[in-house]
Amino acid sequence: MILEAAAAAIHASDLSQTLRASIWLYPMVNTGHVIGIALLFGAIVPLDLRLLGWRSEVMLTQLARTLIPVAIAGLLLAVATGVLLFATRPLDYIGEPLFAIKLGLLGLAVTNALLLRRSPHWTLASVAADKPTRGSWRFAAVASVLLWLGVITAGRLIGYR
Amino acid sequence: MKHTPNRRLTLRLTSLFAWPVLALNLAAPAAAHHGWAWAEGDKSELTGEIVMVKLGNPHGELTIDVGGTKWLVEVGQPWRNERAGLSDDMLAKGVKLTVSGHRAADPKKRLFKAERVMIGDRKFDLYPDRN
Repeated sequence: MILEAAAAAIHASDLSQTLRASIWLYPMVNTGHVIGIALLFGAIVPLDLRLLGWRSEVMLTQLARTLIPVAIAGLLLAVATGVLLFATRPLDYIGEPLFAIKLGLLGLAVTNALLLRRSPHWTLASVAADKPTRGSWRFAAVASVLLWLGVITAGRLIGYR
Repeated sequence: MKHTPNRRLTLRLTSLFAWPVLALNLAAPAAAHHGWAWAEGDKSELTGEIVMVKLGNPHGELTIDVGGTKWLVEVGQPWRNERAGLSDDMLAKGVKLTVSGHRAADPKKRLFKAERVMIGDRKFDLYPDRN
């Protein structure tokens, strides 16, 4: 299968061997992954809570301006370190159903965030006066929290397999 | 009183977060790799020949043949093996060794947590404080 062949090629690479044999590099990559997740989840939850109506006196536009770049930076760090963690044992991960579930949930979580940001109401809210919240935003906020929790839980459980 | 709905929301969200955390804690002890929770309390030994080797991060594993039965033995990650004085070439296929540690609590699982590796008359303590 092409997936297995690709995984085997990654496994045989210098990078993969270095990561597997390393004393410090692998734990550092691992730590970077946790920091990325902390930044992402720590920034996205306050934003979701605000979308649910919590602290509605705080301007959504201001909150979004502050938190979205942090969340994106966290996501990029988590993805970059995640690629390295995958490259350490690619053959194990492609055969792990939890890993597929995690990637699926990750795709949904990112899509949910992108759809929200591209929705006309969000765009309007960022130019016009601040809006309290909307039904569709509440739905997106709950979906966001649940999806990211799912990604994190699936990811953590992979470590126990 | 104007904060009451918010407080209720806070409570509801707290319970939303609590469930996955609880589920994770319940699921974790059943699995291998981390700690000793999955292993039985009594210490035991296995002696056999290495038939498969999978060393390196994040977990080092040896498959050893113990009188026709294959056991998956958890050894250390690189830093732990190195500290114990074990190098990868000492844990090659065909090497006969004895491991001391704990079997999985589930007798159907041929899984072993090694605390000490013995090759010939040399001892390598993966967990010096537990031996």
